[in-house]
Amino acid sequence: MKERPGGVLAAFRHVDAAAHAIRQLKELGYRDFTVYSPVPNFEIMSAVGHPVSPVRVWTLVGGLTGCLSGYAMTMWMSYDYPLVVGGKALGSVPPYIIIMFELTILLGALSTLAGLIVHTFRTHRAAAYDPRFTNDLIGIFVPCPPERRTAVQQVLQQAGATEVRFEQ
Amino acid sequence: MATVARPEPVRIPPTYSEITHDIAATLGRPGRIYYVLLGFVITVMLIGAAALLWQVRYGLGVAGYRPPVMWGVYITTFVFWVGIAHSGTLVSAILYLFRSAWRTAVYRTAEVMTVFAVMTAGLFPLIHVGRIWYAYWLIPYPNQRQLWVNFKSPLLWDVFAVTTYFTVSTCFLIVGLIPDIAAARDVATGWRKKLYAITALAWRGTDQQWRHYTRAYLYLAALATPLVLSVHSVVSWDFAVSIVPGWHTTIFAPYFVAGAIYSGCALVITLLVPLRKMFKLERYIHEDHFENLAKLLLLTGMLVGYAYVVEYFIAWYSGNDAERSSFYFRAFGQYWWATWTMIICNGFLPLFLWFKTIRRSIPAMFLLSLFINLGMWFERFVIISVSLAHEYEPYAMGHYTPSWVDWSILAGSFGWFFMWFLLFAKNFPMVSIAEVKEIIPMPRKERAHA
Amino acid sequence: MSLLERAAEAAGEAVSRRRFLKVLGVAGGGSLAATACGSQSPEKLIPYLIPVEDQVPGVATWYATTCRECPAGCGVHARVREGRAVKLEGNPDHPINRGKLCARGQAALQGLYNPDRVRGPLARNAAGNFEPISWQDAITRVGERLGAAPGAQVWFVTGNEAGTFDRLVSDWLATLGSSGRVVYEPFGYEALRHATREVFGTDELPRYDFGAARYLVSFGADFLETWASPVEYTRGFTASHAFTDGKMGKFVHVEPRMSLTGQNADEWIAPVPGTEGVLALAMAHVIVRDRLGLPPSDAARLRPTLQSYAPEAAAERCGVSAEAIERLAREFTAGPSLAVAGGMGAQHADAHSTAAAVHLLNYVAGNVGRTVVFGAAPNPTGGSRYQRLVDLTQAMQNGSVAVLLVHGANPAYASPSGLGFAAAMLNVPFKVSFSRFLDETAMQADLILPDHDPLEQWNDFEPRAGATLLQQPVMQPVFDTRQSGDVLLELARRMGGRMAQRFTAATYKDYLQDAWRRLHQQRGSRETFEAFWTEALMRGGVWSEPRPRGVSLAAGAARVAVTPPAVPEARFTLIVYPSSVLYDGRAANRPWLQELPDPVSKLGWSTWLEIHPDAARELGITDGDIVEVGSDAGTVRAVALLYPGVRRDVVALPLGQGHTAFGRYARDRGANGYQLLAAAPTAFGGVQHYAAVTVRATGEHEVLATRAGNRRQLDRGIAQAVTLAGLVEEGFEPHHEAHAAPIPERIEEVLDQWQEEQYRDWKERGNYAGEHPRWGMAIDLSRCTGCSACVTACYAENNLPVVGRELMQRGREMSWMRIERYFEGGGEHPLEVRVVPMLCQQCGNAPCEPVCPVFAAYHTPDGLNAQVYNRCVGTRYCSNNCPYKVRYFNWFDYQEPSDPTFSWPEPLHWQLNPDVTMRSKGVMEKCTFCVQRIRGAQHQARMSGTPLRDGDVVTACQQSCPADAIVFGDLNDPGSRVSRLATDGRGYHVLDGLNTRPAITYLARVWNRAEA
Repeated sequence: MKERPGGVLAAFRHVDAAAHAIRQLKELGYRDFTVYSPVPNFEIMSAVGHPVSPVRVWTLVGGLTGCLSGYAMTMWMSYDYPLVVGGKALGSVPPYIIIMFELTILLGALSTLAGLIVHTFRTHRAAAYDPRFTNDLIGIFVPCPPERRTAVQQVLQQAGATEVRFEQ
Repeated sequence: MATVARPEPVRIPPTYSEITHDIAATLGRPGRIYYVLLGFVITVMLIGAAALLWQVRYGLGVAGYRPPVMWGVYITTFVFWVGIAHSGTLVSAILYLFRSAWRTAVYRTAEVMTVFAVMTAGLFPLIHVGRIWYAYWLIPYPNQRQLWVNFKSPLLWDVFAVTTYFTVSTCFLIVGLIPDIAAARDVATGWRKKLYAITALAWRGTDQQWRHYTRAYLYLAALATPLVLSVHSVVSWDFAVSIVPGWHTTIFAPYFVAGAIYSGCALVITLLVPLRKMFKLERYIHEDHFENLAKLLLLTGMLVGYAYVVEYFIAWYSGNDAERSSFYFRAFGQYWWATWTMIICNGFLPLFLWFKTIRRSIPAMFLLSLFINLGMWFERFVIISVSLAHEYEPYAMGHYTPSWVDWSILAGSFGWFFMWFLLFAKNFPMVSIAEVKEIIPMPRKERAHA
Repeated sequence: MSLLERAAEAAGEAVSRRRFLKVLGVAGGGSLAATACGSQSPEKLIPYLIPVEDQVPGVATWYATTCRECPAGCGVHARVREGRAVKLEGNPDHPINRGKLCARGQAALQGLYNPDRVRGPLARNAAGNFEPISWQDAITRVGERLGAAPGAQVWFVTGNEAGTFDRLVSDWLATLGSSGRVVYEPFGYEALRHATREVFGTDELPRYDFGAARYLVSFGADFLETWASPVEYTRGFTASHAFTDGKMGKFVHVEPRMSLTGQNADEWIAPVPGTEGVLALAMAHVIVRDRLGLPPSDAARLRPTLQSYAPEAAAERCGVSAEAIERLAREFTAGPSLAVAGGMGAQHADAHSTAAAVHLLNYVAGNVGRTVVFGAAPNPTGGSRYQRLVDLTQAMQNGSVAVLLVHGANPAYASPSGLGFAAAMLNVPFKVSFSRFLDETAMQADLILPDHDPLEQWNDFEPRAGATLLQQPVMQPVFDTRQSGDVLLELARRMGGRMAQRFTAATYKDYLQDAWRRLHQQRGSRETFEAFWTEALMRGGVWSEPRPRGVSLAAGAARVAVTPPAVPEARFTLIVYPSSVLYDGRAANRPWLQELPDPVSKLGWSTWLEIHPDAARELGITDGDIVEVGSDAGTVRAVALLYPGVRRDVVALPLGQGHTAFGRYARDRGANGYQLLAAAPTAFGGVQHYAAVTVRATGEHEVLATRAGNRRQLDRGIAQAVTLAGLVEEGFEPHHEAHAAPIPERIEEVLDQWQEEQYRDWKERGNYAGEHPRWGMAIDLSRCTGCSACVTACYAENNLPVVGRELMQRGREMSWMRIERYFEGGGEHPLEVRVVPMLCQQCGNAPCEPVCPVFAAYHTPDGLNAQVYNRCVGTRYCSNNCPYKVRYFNWFDYQEPSDPTFSWPEPLHWQLNPDVTMRSKGVMEKCTFCVQRIRGAQHQARMSGTPLRDGDVVTACQQSCPADAIVFGDLNDPGSRVSRLATDGRGYHVLDGLNTRPAITYLARVWNRAEA
């Protein structure tokens, strides 16, 4: 991981305060700050205002691939070495639908997982952290050069941060 | 299911740090009872393993099979465990989509149970085949035999359904675990801290992480939901597409799914009761949860009971000799005792759940869940073995009694399941930290602002 | 010969069967040489560099010889591969069995390869145990003893030997100055001989023409099972009784117990035990009284004899209504008819008068000379008489026997234990046994000189006058045994003096050929002896149709009177009958036969007591209870079998089990019925196989060793039947089990169209491209008697493992073909037993195929329902989905020598058919329609360039079937026999409603009686 940049790390106890702080920071033109929260929270997410996660595309593509490959595999294998059983058609689609369905789900789920991993890596930012953020505190880390820290600190404290500290 | 009750407001909800603390506390150093239990289940599992080795050495004949009953305890137990596996994904995925709050406290247990139940179930098709060392021939891969598999065979549908189900529910479990492991990591010490640091996959709960996480979780849930309903339908088609009287029925898919969720919920209860006691989780898992589970039980129990009635009605109404004779044999033949065990345990006992006092009495629920588990095993036994014992060819009818090998392997499967369950319970949070917090509103400065 | 044959094949010319056989004869001639030089030692690999004369690897050699498993004397062809006999098949040209063979005949191979055979001469040492000795030593010992003993004190017991060996033994004894020759067959024909002497004043037995009789009444004769010549009689019976173009004979069986023969009767009459004779005389009375048919002129002489047998009087004695008697008499004289007395009808104290009565009945009905023929002099038992065995026992008891020689008989087991034969043997200072096995008698001997198996020896056999059958060695002896004929000659040479002068032949083969030279001269044929001999070897013997001679009533005829033995109150009459599978116990060490479900009881490996359900209920006995049967002679324990086919006052117990020795398969199994029989000989000097017994439940119980689940077919039309009248008038309407609403016509059409499309689709792909036969089978149930020869034939052909009693109790026997038995009626309705051979139906739409995940079960282009063992993983779904339940799973590794369940202990596995693979643990198997024979015939046809003709492929079951009930062939060939039968009016498919489209068509059974 690359060298962690310096900046201001603030901890909030109240969700509305944190959301307020986030809005403030955005007004001041800060984009690359990181918000920590123990649980996903609508108020904070809307304050941060990310677009919808692209993971869904992965799900869709994965699912479709599974469905088609299911059909292709079953049919091709049935005719590659034709063996008659029970007087039935060599390639009989109805039973194959089950295989297609299962592969749809399987590949859909796996590619969703892949998507999750890929995108979390992509959007990962090196940032300061405090263990309490997974417990009960909301954290905001604003990377900024030393000369601007006081300004940021003020914004955060006014918003209602319980504590604020500088990170080298 | 959206209608299931919310927790009553009278309870004071725990604070976030309390939650973290209480649940992380369950991961402490285990006591003597834990080791005794673990030792016991492992011994049972080893007995089963020994029986299996014996069977592999001398052949399936050491099991009690008696033609025409070619499927016995093994397939019965396979279906039993696959069924158990269902409630897990039901609670975690379907109830998630329905946004029912009460699931948060119990879904982890259910999911863990699901994963290990499928692991157990997956063993049985292998145990029951004549040449276990060639079982991999069921996998469609380019091979030197230049032969593909027969996708028309229900057994192959099983291969796909069960593996898919195992993979997806495992993903689901792991994804759900990540934030909790992170939380545990941040309060843990010693080697556990290292373990969680690795398994948390660098989770910190940043805005970006949550952004993708919530979406992914939603889609996984969306995929798992049809899967739950499909897997046991596919398993039921193992029987339904055959021509065996007593198997060849269109009702099987819904019938089996209902039965699966029924038995699954029962086992969840069986597991939760001792769990909450041992881990002192009364504050998080309480009567309300049991009542909701009880309502699920009641619903599915009624469905199953209805299916029983319909089976017999159709057997009579179809006017098909073989069908009628098969069902008459079930009720009054050599296996009457199995049939009536199943009908009483699954058809009549759940009726007690109409009473709120029963639903909210934890001992009663525990007892009931045990009977339902028993009943559901016998349901599968009756459907599978008893139907086979009374087929078309009268001369070739026969009566099957399992041998010590069947019973040891059955017991072994429970040992195997509980071994994994115990190991997991002591090392990973059995109640979702993040989701329990989620349903408790975060503190705010101005109440008015809400 | 193989060279010849190979040449023939190379030249691509068809090897006609006749030519083929001619070649065999030569091979037979040459085979002793081959034997002597031991070049075909089966243990060794076959050297390809210097090909062994007379065998090509992979090509079978066939030798004609004679089956000696029972006194019938059927001709067989032994199929020999790489120097080992692997299969016996009937000799098609043979006068007795015409190419067919019964289960016991099939199992002769397991006598040859029996792991419990005596492997060389044994002598009892000081410690009383047997120890191996050299032949030289052994023969010297016997020679000394014989030299020392006074000739008169030498006794020789043999079984039924009719022919050169018989004469050799007699001469040999005579020359020694002994008159101690005893021929002992437990089921002798004393009663019949006695009766014939009384009634017709001749010692010769009559010959019965079952084929000519349109109306047959059997007074206890189980002619389809063990009596006289079952295969021959089965052929005759089916010839007259099978339904052919609208006609069939009628068969009435009179016996207190419904034997397999009785099950095949259109009418079963169960008289009071022992009163069959009363019924016969009553019928005769009616015939003479009403001048029915055309009674011979002197029939009137019998009026006084028949006076006291008026139907009303007789009805009270025999328990058959007077109307029935009148009706029987009328039907009996309506056309060519035949009445036979024998089997269990001729084994009770008064049997001689039963036989005499039946003679009279035949006489007054004018059958003598038509269906009852004299002049053939059948000799089923070499004139055995139980009386002689009694004499010998007394002689032994008085210590007036110095040397006892026993050959081919086992009296220590197969005689009433009250006689004390075994105990008496202890008084004999020197006992020699020629037995091939350590049976009960051999165990008592001081010296055992094991004889060759009949398949290893030179010999001849005369089942009746005019038929002299040859036995030739079909392979090198398996063990260090020696033919008893050679031993006797050697002894004679050693003893010198009269003996040496009398017997000059170097080997028994020379002795035999001398005898045949005389035969050759008698026949005065122009060809040289060598040609005559070779021809005889090739055909299996020489035979000619005997000239019938007339007989007339003797003085004794007027004295015939029936006095049935009285049974004390509160006792059952026990009938101890010969098992149709194990006969009198001599076949009990053949695993195939032990495992073969008895045609009547469907039990294997056990001794059961047949008891009527009502009687059982009174005694509180149910199926599988262990009961104790007690008579004045002794008690035995057997497992109870509730059987509606016995009178309420009768119980029946089969012979054959209860051996105390005789090898691993026979020892300590079931009970020996002889322990219940009285030792005293009957008036006519036979064994009484009836006894008055009490039956007591012991409270113990066992699982019956059978696959038979349900005795009734639950109205599912598995075994269908129709009455003759019904068939002729309104034809046969196949039974369909009730279903939901029938499928609409339109849907049917759509389905059929769809099916056709599939067929077209396949015909363009892979192996399925092009035209193929569709192999099919037709089984005529109006011919099938349920004798189960096909089952054993299948074991022999397809290497089916024998699983033993414990697994059979779990229903795990592997018989690809089984004879299912269902009861119909009963109670106030007449009891009806239907049998149906059940094997893989080779369905067109096979339910077993699509459920296999790995294509182990699939459909071959020629319509076979293939099971590929190597692919099988063992999910067993195919078996679950098979409505006929004809798939069999390898629960254990029966083919693995190191496995406890190994099924072919050395040298039994020498018999395995090299053309059929062995199946390993954990795979499914089933009937293949003998695919190896199909492919073999196809290759043969391809090599000879001629197309495959109908009848070229013969499955093992079809080949063996004595009733010729099974027909196999190509259903796509409209001209084939099977296609014609498949469209027969009586044809039906089992479980037709399941749309499995079976390749097997069953032709419904036809009953020649009023109601079905």
